Amino acid sequence: MTQKHKKNRNVGIIGIGQTIYSSHREDVNQPEMIHEAVEIALKDAGLTIDDIDCVVHGNMELFQMVQQPDCWHTIGTGAYGRDQFRLTTGGTTGATLVAASDNLVASGMYDIVLAIGFEKLQEGHTTGGITNMADPLWGRSLQTGALTGATAGEMIEEFGEDRAKRAAMRHRVIMDKHAVLNPNSHRSFGLEFEQIDDLMKNSPPLVGELRLIHMCSQSDGACAMIFACEEKAKELSDRPVWIRDHIAVHREETFTMFSSNKEMRPEITQRYAARKLFERNGIGNPVEYFDVFEMYDPSSWWGMDWLKNFMLLEGDEHLKMVEDGEIMIGGRLPVNPSGGVVAANPIGATAMARVAEAALQVRGDAGKHQVPGEVNHALASGFGGTFWTVMTMLEKNLDWQEDNNG
Amino acid sequence: MSEEHKYCSVLEGKLALPYQYFAGRLGSRFIVSLRDAKKIFGVKCNSCGKVFVPPRRTCERCFENIENNVVELSDTGEVVNFTIVNYADRHLPRKPPFVLALIKLDGADTPLTHIVEGVEPGSVSNGMRVKAVFAEETTNCILDIDHFEPV
Amino acid sequence: MAEYYGTTVADIFKTQTERFRVEGAEGVDAVFAYDISGDGGGRWKVTVRDKKALTEKVDDGDLGDFSVKLSTDAETFVGISIGKVDGTEAFTGGKLRVEGDMALMGVLPRLFVKYTPPGGGVTAQDVIASLPERFRPDRAGDLEAAIGYDITGGGGGKWTAVVSGGKVTVEDGLRDDLSMKQTVSAKDFVDLVLGKLDPMVAIGGGRLRISGDMEVAAAVPKIFAKFEPKGAEKGPELIVLKKTISVDMRYATGPVMGRFLEALKEKKILANVCPECGRKQLPPREVCAVCRCRVDDFREVGPEGTIELLEHTYYASPDPLTGETRETPYGIIHVLLDGCSGTETLWHLIKPSDLGSAKVGDRVRPVWAEKRNGSIFDMLYFEKVD
Repeated sequence: MTQKHKKNRNVGIIGIGQTIYSSHREDVNQPEMIHEAVEIALKDAGLTIDDIDCVVHGNMELFQMVQQPDCWHTIGTGAYGRDQFRLTTGGTTGATLVAASDNLVASGMYDIVLAIGFEKLQEGHTTGGITNMADPLWGRSLQTGALTGATAGEMIEEFGEDRAKRAAMRHRVIMDKHAVLNPNSHRSFGLEFEQIDDLMKNSPPLVGELRLIHMCSQSDGACAMIFACEEKAKELSDRPVWIRDHIAVHREETFTMFSSNKEMRPEITQRYAARKLFERNGIGNPVEYFDVFEMYDPSSWWGMDWLKNFMLLEGDEHLKMVEDGEIMIGGRLPVNPSGGVVAANPIGATAMARVAEAALQVRGDAGKHQVPGEVNHALASGFGGTFWTVMTMLEKNLDWQEDNNG
Repeated sequence: MSEEHKYCSVLEGKLALPYQYFAGRLGSRFIVSLRDAKKIFGVKCNSCGKVFVPPRRTCERCFENIENNVVELSDTGEVVNFTIVNYADRHLPRKPPFVLALIKLDGADTPLTHIVEGVEPGSVSNGMRVKAVFAEETTNCILDIDHFEPV
Repeated sequence: MAEYYGTTVADIFKTQTERFRVEGAEGVDAVFAYDISGDGGGRWKVTVRDKKALTEKVDDGDLGDFSVKLSTDAETFVGISIGKVDGTEAFTGGKLRVEGDMALMGVLPRLFVKYTPPGGGVTAQDVIASLPERFRPDRAGDLEAAIGYDITGGGGGKWTAVVSGGKVTVEDGLRDDLSMKQTVSAKDFVDLVLGKLDPMVAIGGGRLRISGDMEVAAAVPKIFAKFEPKGAEKGPELIVLKKTISVDMRYATGPVMGRFLEALKEKKILANVCPECGRKQLPPREVCAVCRCRVDDFREVGPEGTIELLEHTYYASPDPLTGETRETPYGIIHVLLDGCSGTETLWHLIKPSDLGSAKVGDRVRPVWAEKRNGSIFDMLYFEKVD
């Protein structure tokens, strides 16, 4: 069993800010766009920039083709004259920013930290940018960004073509129905379940059975969050959302995953991370434990497949959860009430937006896409790179503490 | 050691991807002003009093929105520092040798980086007064000022 | 004729040829076909050739040859044409279908000036969205009311303008507790607002129906300032700098990959074997990823092998090393070469003519280039072994 982090003190989320996610942000440059999210977060927390001790800044490398953008962005981030850290870990950046902020505050180094994740994908070439992740000596000419139909192919083999394709499309429609309720989401098409047959046949295929409609959007947007130590959090906010634990699993295993011999493959990071995280927190049944799950789902196929891994399910339990609508708002385990990543994907912000949305749910502040009832335990995941996973657990109350924590 | 390294080689390649940068509302106004009106403006922060050029939406020290505090600036100023670029690169705006200078326009508190021409590079000095020469053919960027030359 | 957003599909095609931009047509030889369904739809062909444009309506029979065909419904087509509907989102959401050479879609804006409808493009939504800023609280007194707008037909919708506390907010939909409601078609509504249609004529002809509190209805024209349509330029110019950043790179192979690439010149594929666990790595690596010990034992594998994974790729991704885009569809394969036993598959391409018939489990072998210079494409692709 892995060690839980020894925290010197608890960390609460006291400010959340998101810009509208869109592909039409020609009206702002990068620091201006970031500034929008920062202003919203500061207002949410009731703070000014002078209250912030440290800024943590991140996005994906290469996408906007500005090297060390944190320097230019001080005119929008408020980092001028402050300590600043920059992180860039591919698609998991947003979640790693949360993990870093949690560590910085828990350690005692800073009391209040502002984290900013952003991306302006309209300014770059997303697929080209991702393709540049591959080894230039032999892989780069073959990689197609983040597009692969391999998971779809496997699910079709395991569960049958019609059932698998129908369930993936159903997942897509559910995500869209959630997105319609989220005013920040980039895309919502107003899809209906009756359209599943038509979309299955007619949405243009990208790779194998991965179709255009399944794939995440390319968005511009920024997400900012403010983290405070327990004492300050209780003083400044009447509803701080507590970070219970987080785990980051960044493994370079993609190139050993393609054998048809499934027994030889390493355990997929989503399952590995979930297993370790839940074991060390004493959670036996994650589907029962969590009230909401904001999952980083780059495509509907992965969204569906990874439900099994994150929730440690077996057989076709995950398909059933999609088919029976258990993942819808109001269902047994609402997944992505915000619409998720297919609805909005400003990559550097996306993984942070999952934590932000999960925190809004815990606070009861998610507006039209609020999950009904008490949300005490929330889970958020981040994805990136060669199958990296970061998971964050949020709690409404500070009652999970064990006697010997720390 | 040399046995191992007999297989070492170098793969030539390039990184070539299309990008676009949005100037934003304020940045666009600045460029359009250079391009069409041949005028340079800055923005002033009313809290700390600094006039920034090129203009930016937020004063980073006071963290206030200053985009509407437009201040028209002179097209003339003084060289506060400079460097002579002696190497050639296709990404540079001129062939070597040429002068890149920090120019503090009259009315501004921040210097503007630009090219100084119309004078021998060796004769450029700090304190020199220079004036903007606007471009005949414009390209929607800072080079809509073509260069600065001594007054 | 069905109107959407203040104009018709036919209007757009009627003006097609006069909107043609000769300067953008250099080297273009293409036929754009349009299959527009729904009320006001039809089929058209626009041919651009020898720096001239020809627009024809196709009433009966086959559309014939085309370079690219767009299929959508009339409302979506008009919406995209005047910029009220995002074309990319319509495409992704399945409302717009494109057959043939999709690259030509990127050429269209160069060939034709954007269409602006006769009314200057004012829509019912524009008018209603401007209600809050046109509100004159000095003329409204302490009026509290919910004003319903039931705008019918293409470009219509249902809204409620709520006058309360000296402010106006607009909500989607019609409230149950409306003070008054006006029901009118979108076209008539815009014409009324722009002064092109007399309200008395509209009411008398049954084109405008007003129900509810007549005092509130009488107050409406007084408490809102006249709607002024914006000029053709919507808002300030926004500058976008477009650049292709091109940076030359030189990647050192190091001795291990260097040896792998060198062997390809001799039509040999090398893996290396871990002295502790015995697993092979392909391409070879300096260190065993599992045992973390140095690996020096190079073995030839293949050249034949079995397909473990086959990906039909329809998306043309540019190769960032060369800037070239591969022709689609193409097939990416992961091959387990003879001599390999685990997950150390080789990543490559399937011969284009084998793509249709190849499947997982098939035996394949590399097709070598005539001239080889130590790169992964010294193998052009893999082909099926019959």
